[in-house]
Amino acid sequence: MSADPGASSQVRAEEVAVSWRPSRHARRLFTLAAAALLLAVLTRNAALAGVAGPPLLLLGMARAGAGGARAGAGRVSGRSPGRPDRVSVRIGLTATRVYEGEPAAVDVTVQDGAGQDTAAPASAPPASATVPAGRPGPAEPGMGLDARHGARWALEPGKGIEPGSATAVNGPAARFTFAASRWGKRALGTVTLTLHDRWRLAEGRVTFTLPSVDCYPSPAVQRTTVVLSKLPNRLGEHRARVPGDGTEFMGVREFVPGDRQRAINWPASTRRGRLQVNTFAAERSQDVVLLVDATSDVGKPGESALDLGLRGAAGAARAYLDARDRVGVITYQWGGAHWLAPSLGRRPVYKIIDVLLTADTGYARGAVFSRLPRAALPPGSLVVAFSPLLDGRFVEALRDMRERGVALIVVDVLNADPPARRLFADVAARRIWRMEQDAIRFSLRELGVPVLPWDGVTTLDLPLAPYTRRPLMGRR
Amino acid sequence: MTEDKLPVEADASTAAPTASASASRPAPPRAGVASAIGSRLAALLLGAACIAWTATPVLPGGLAKTALTVAIIAVTAGALRLATADIPQPEDAYFLPGYLQAWLTFLALLRTLAWEETAAVAILWLEIQHPLRPWHTAALGAGLLAYLLATHIAESGADAGPLLRRQGRVLAAGACLLALGAGFAMIPASAPGVGSAILRVLAAAAVIAAAALVLPG
Repeated sequence: MSADPGASSQVRAEEVAVSWRPSRHARRLFTLAAAALLLAVLTRNAALAGVAGPPLLLLGMARAGAGGARAGAGRVSGRSPGRPDRVSVRIGLTATRVYEGEPAAVDVTVQDGAGQDTAAPASAPPASATVPAGRPGPAEPGMGLDARHGARWALEPGKGIEPGSATAVNGPAARFTFAASRWGKRALGTVTLTLHDRWRLAEGRVTFTLPSVDCYPSPAVQRTTVVLSKLPNRLGEHRARVPGDGTEFMGVREFVPGDRQRAINWPASTRRGRLQVNTFAAERSQDVVLLVDATSDVGKPGESALDLGLRGAAGAARAYLDARDRVGVITYQWGGAHWLAPSLGRRPVYKIIDVLLTADTGYARGAVFSRLPRAALPPGSLVVAFSPLLDGRFVEALRDMRERGVALIVVDVLNADPPARRLFADVAARRIWRMEQDAIRFSLRELGVPVLPWDGVTTLDLPLAPYTRRPLMGRR
Repeated sequence: MTEDKLPVEADASTAAPTASASASRPAPPRAGVASAIGSRLAALLLGAACIAWTATPVLPGGLAKTALTVAIIAVTAGALRLATADIPQPEDAYFLPGYLQAWLTFLALLRTLAWEETAAVAILWLEIQHPLRPWHTAALGAGLLAYLLATHIAESGADAGPLLRRQGRVLAAGACLLALGAGFAMIPASAPGVGSAILRVLAAAAVIAAAALVLPG
C-alpha cells in the first residue's frame, strides 16, 4: 500500500445541494447557555447569567451573520456566500480495474457551486480528462471554499475495501488510497463532505456514493505451459511432431523438386552423393479451455477453493495467451455455465477474467448440467479444470469429457477439510468423506485424467511440471 | 478485517507541497496523530479542570456529590468518545464474538449520548450548590466555554489558530459579559427580598442581549 497509485482520471462530476443544520458545537453552546440562564433565574445568581453570555453571543452572531449575508446576497444572486447552497464535487479514480491487494486511490475535490456556475462555466475538464500531477488544476475556487468553510471529508469504505490511508481528511481535495482484498465488483463506499460556517455553528453535509471498481483475482504465477502431442493445423509457437516451416531442426531427407535451395544440407549431400535438405518442425498453436468449477466454495474467504480456482485460471490464461495460444474459459456453476470461446491476443485476458467474475456459488434449483456446450469446447483442445471436486455432477462432466477424448488436466484446489471433532460419529464421517474424495480422484486418474493438487501459494509450474516437459496425449 | 483498520486524522493541506498542487492532485493524507492526541488531551484536561474548579471546596451534600459524580462520568465518557472516534464500525457485527459485540455496544453508547452537554449542566449544578462566589463562577464560565471549544476542535480536526482568531472579537466580548455578570452579582442589594436579586439577573441578561445586538457580525 505504500506505492503511489499515480494520477487519477475523472469519472464523475456532479453538483449537489448542501443541507445546513446546527452543528453539535452549536447544540452544546445552546445547552450551556440555556442551563446557565435557567439556573441564574432559579438561584437569582447574576454571575450565572454572565456564564450564558459568551455562548449566546456566539449563537447570535452566527445567526445574524448568516441572515445578513443571505439578505445581502439574495438581492444579487439569490445565493448566500456564507453558506453555499450547492457545491460541485469531482471524483477521480486511479484505476477502475484492480487486482486483489493492488493499491489504488480515489480523489475527491469540492468547488464552490457559485464559482463554477458564474465565474468559469466552461472551465470544467471533460469527463475523461486526466488530472496531471503537480499542476494547478481548476480547483482554485475550492481553496477559497475550504478557507471559508473548513471542508472535511470522511470515507466510509464499502464491503471488502481496505483503506490504506486516513479516512478523515481536512481540505478542499482529498485522496483516499485503498485496496480490495478479494475479487469481485466492489463498491468503494461513501464519502461525506462536511462544511462549516464561519462560526462553526452550522454545518452542511453532503454524502455521495463513490463509483465501483472491478477487482480481478490476482493471477497465479505460471511460466511453463502444457502442450498437446497433437496440435491443430494453425500457425503458432509450439513445436509440432510434423514437418513444417518452423525454425527447429527435425531431420534430413532427399531433395525433391520444389524444395528451397537454402534448405540443402551440403555436408549430408556430399556424404550420400545425392542432394539432401533439412526439414524443420512445424510450429502450431493450440486451443486451451480453462474450466472453473464454481459449484462449491469452501475454505476461508480469500483462500477458498473458488478463490484459488479463479487465481489459477487467471494465471493460466496469461501464460497460454503469452504463448500465442487461443484461450477460452468456462465457469461451471449450478445455474448453468458462462463461457467464452477461445480467442487469441492480449485483449481476451480481461474478457476471460470478466467471465470468471460471473462465477457465483449461489444455489439454483433444477439446474441440470450433463454436458458442457460444444461451442465452448473446440475439438482437440486442451482443457485445464480448476475444481475442488466436491460436486458429483461436475465430476461426471469431467468423466464425460474424457470419454469424448478431450485432453484434460484437473488442478485440485481443495484446501479445506471438515472441522475436526472428537465425537466418534464426526471422526467416522470425516474419514468417510476423505475416502470418498480419494475415490473420486482415483477414478479420474484411472480414466487418464491427471489430478494435480495445488495449494494456491506455490506457482502453478510446480504441480504441472510432469506435464510441461513432454507433450500431453489427447485421445487414448 | 475491519478491526485492522486504523484510520487517523489528517490534513491534506499540510500534506501537499503547494496549494495549487494540492488542488490539482490531492496528496495522500498524512497522519496527524500528534495534533489529534493534543486536542483530545486538551479537552480532557479542560473538563477535569472545570470539575476541580467547581468542586472545591468539596461539599458534603448528596446533591453536590451526585452532580460531581455525573460530571466526572460525563467528562470521562466524552474524552473516551473523542479517543475512540476513529475506530470504525465493522461491516458485519452479527457473527462477532461476545466480547467484541460488548465493545461495539460500549462504543455505540459513547457515541450516542450527549456527554459534553451533560457535563456542562452537571458542573453548573455543582456550582450552584456552593454559596454565591461571582468571580469563581465567571472563571468557571470561561473554562466551560474553553472545554466545549476544545471538544469541537478535537472532534472536527479543525485548526485551532484560525478558528480562535475568527471568533476572537466575540470571545473577548463574551469575557466582558462574564465580568459584567460577576459584577452585577457583587452589587449589594438595595433592598432585602427576592426582587432585587432577580433585578440583577435581568440586568445581566439585558446587557448580554444588548451586546449581541450591537456587535457586528
